[in-house]
Amino acid sequence: MNRIAGVLLLAVAACSPSADEPTIRSGIGETRNTSGPLVVYVVNYPLLYFAERIGGAAVQAEFPAPLLDDPAYWQPGPVRIAEYQAADVIVRNGATYAKWIDLVTLPESKVVDTSTRFSDGFITVEGAATHSHGPEGEHTHGETAFTTWLDPLLAIEQAGAIRDAFVAARRDREAYFDTNFAALQSDLEALDARLVWLTRNAGDTPLLASHPVYQYFARRYGLNLESVHFEPDDMPDEAAWSALEQLVASHPARWMIWEGPPSDDIVDRLMSMGIGSVVYAPVGNRPAEGDFLAVMQQNVLNLQTIFPPE
Amino acid sequence: MKQILYLAWRYLAYHRFKTLILITAITLIFYVPVGLRVLVNQSAEQLTARAVGTPLVIGAKGSPLELVLNTLYFGSDVPATMHYTQFERVAESELASAIPVYTRFNVQGHPIVGTTLEYQSFRGLEIAAGRQMAVLGECVVGSRVAAALGVGPGDSVISSPESVFDIAGVYPLKMNVAGVLDFADGPDDDAIFVDIKTAWIIAGIGHGHQDLAQPGAVAGVLSRDDNEIVANASVMQYNEITEENRGSFHFHGELSDYPVTAVIAVPQDQRSSALLQGRYQNTDDVAQIVVPEGVMNELLATVLTVQRFVVAGAVLLGLATLASASLVFALSLRLRRREIDTLFRIGGSRAAVAMVMASEIVVVLAVGALLAATLTLATREFGAVLIRLLIRM
Repeated sequence: MNRIAGVLLLAVAACSPSADEPTIRSGIGETRNTSGPLVVYVVNYPLLYFAERIGGAAVQAEFPAPLLDDPAYWQPGPVRIAEYQAADVIVRNGATYAKWIDLVTLPESKVVDTSTRFSDGFITVEGAATHSHGPEGEHTHGETAFTTWLDPLLAIEQAGAIRDAFVAARRDREAYFDTNFAALQSDLEALDARLVWLTRNAGDTPLLASHPVYQYFARRYGLNLESVHFEPDDMPDEAAWSALEQLVASHPARWMIWEGPPSDDIVDRLMSMGIGSVVYAPVGNRPAEGDFLAVMQQNVLNLQTIFPPE
Repeated sequence: MKQILYLAWRYLAYHRFKTLILITAITLIFYVPVGLRVLVNQSAEQLTARAVGTPLVIGAKGSPLELVLNTLYFGSDVPATMHYTQFERVAESELASAIPVYTRFNVQGHPIVGTTLEYQSFRGLEIAAGRQMAVLGECVVGSRVAAALGVGPGDSVISSPESVFDIAGVYPLKMNVAGVLDFADGPDDDAIFVDIKTAWIIAGIGHGHQDLAQPGAVAGVLSRDDNEIVANASVMQYNEITEENRGSFHFHGELSDYPVTAVIAVPQDQRSSALLQGRYQNTDDVAQIVVPEGVMNELLATVLTVQRFVVAGAVLLGLATLASASLVFALSLRLRRREIDTLFRIGGSRAAVAMVMASEIVVVLAVGALLAATLTLATREFGAVLIRLLIRM
């Protein structure tokens, strides 16, 4: 009889409507890594350096582009993309750097665009073609210069965005990240101060660049810089040399700034035109020796050839 | 007492046909209204479970029901689109995580859901075979899509044209199946998931074609003014994204103007939810915010109003059946007058005879109630499975 009563009670209970209240989720339901180092994937070496300086032991920063590739044009395969997808934080340079990132699928909530803060100040590359479809169609955007980190003040902004992303992911390490960021900021400001002093008398001195990658650098220090498309280890053809001669006729530069050491025959040919060669490495990928700051400091020393420090 | 129950049992067993009918009638009297209510509640729970798990949905002004049905169940007509800036509005509010959704296209009736990877995390979708989509032009398919179309990792699907007669319309896009999702027991099993940028490519906002700045592309150039090239309609656009042509894909116009059909907002807490909802109260706003659970409950309240009439009818029928059963007992007593007299003659007291009669009634009622309870429990246990099967049919 008791058993029957229990069953009947259960039957009655089955008639009661549910009284569950909806709950609000916090976050999107994805379990973020909350212990252990923050796994960070970046798209170029300067960002790797900033992430490691700021994150220290709390961060495991990865930059999987091959050593010899230009990260701006690297195309990762599905395995590498899966690694980016699994990261806690994905750091992109912005300013259209690494166009591959716009053609892959990444979790948007993890992506940090380090150039958003100064996107109003992006430099459009002159001479780049845009197109539309039909007279009324929308045009594509023009090319944007993307070596933003060559302006130390913009590099500080980018590092700040990384710091903010780390703090958002690991609030308990905020003080640690702030301390590390302050040290990095101090180093970059010292670099900037040195360059400001070095180029204080540059005026309109015409300069040449082997590649159009120094736009932000030139703007920061007010340099009168025109670019060509010379590769350090690839002798330009006669058409390129003629074009250079025409350019020098209106832009009488005595120095060309290179991304890497040019070959001897190129140096000699330039010398014959009265143009010296100085290396100012953009260090988009890992340097053979040293780190980002060491390379930048060497760049400053190299620049002293053009702008003697007396 | 044992003897009384024995006599009652022997009588019922001897007249088994009559007993069976009475027990069946009593069972139905109890089970029909209760079981119906259980089924209806479970149906409502099943239909609204997905809505309960989706806190907020933002869409263009219009029918909230259409917005919810399209965003959660990929059903109904495609609602009006709004600009991607509405997604940015939620994402930048810091009140909620935002997931953009663009569902306009399909593959042989299976909806193509353009969204971000956060959607899969939000819905708890896991890859069962293959891998996650990595590049534009790839997709992951729900388990029922894989079975229906006979596709798996490494195969491809082609988006269906919106209209057979619109030859100048959207080009079909061939997409590579990167992976198959695990069975999720919901609308996601019937969907094909792509990066929202892939969905925009299907819409024609993004595309790939030969480089118009190259000399070989002169036939596709309508006019050229310095570095601004206007292409003519003869430029062939790629209908598949491959390793070779992926780099040529690009978008025209501004990202903030690109279309989405909805934004799923997952607030951080109740306060954030209230604050976010408050931001959409302006009647001039082009977007609306809805609570899916509320919308579905309203729909079900309307649809399930009929259940009250059904339950009322069942109760009336039950009362009528009970009255009939009472009449059967009463007539049965009259027919058993000689039997009762015999019991008196062999020494049975009035109380004992009354108890025999009463026991027969109680046994029938008890067995009927027990069967009704068993059926109700079974309905509660397996009703959800049955409802899911019916929903999917």
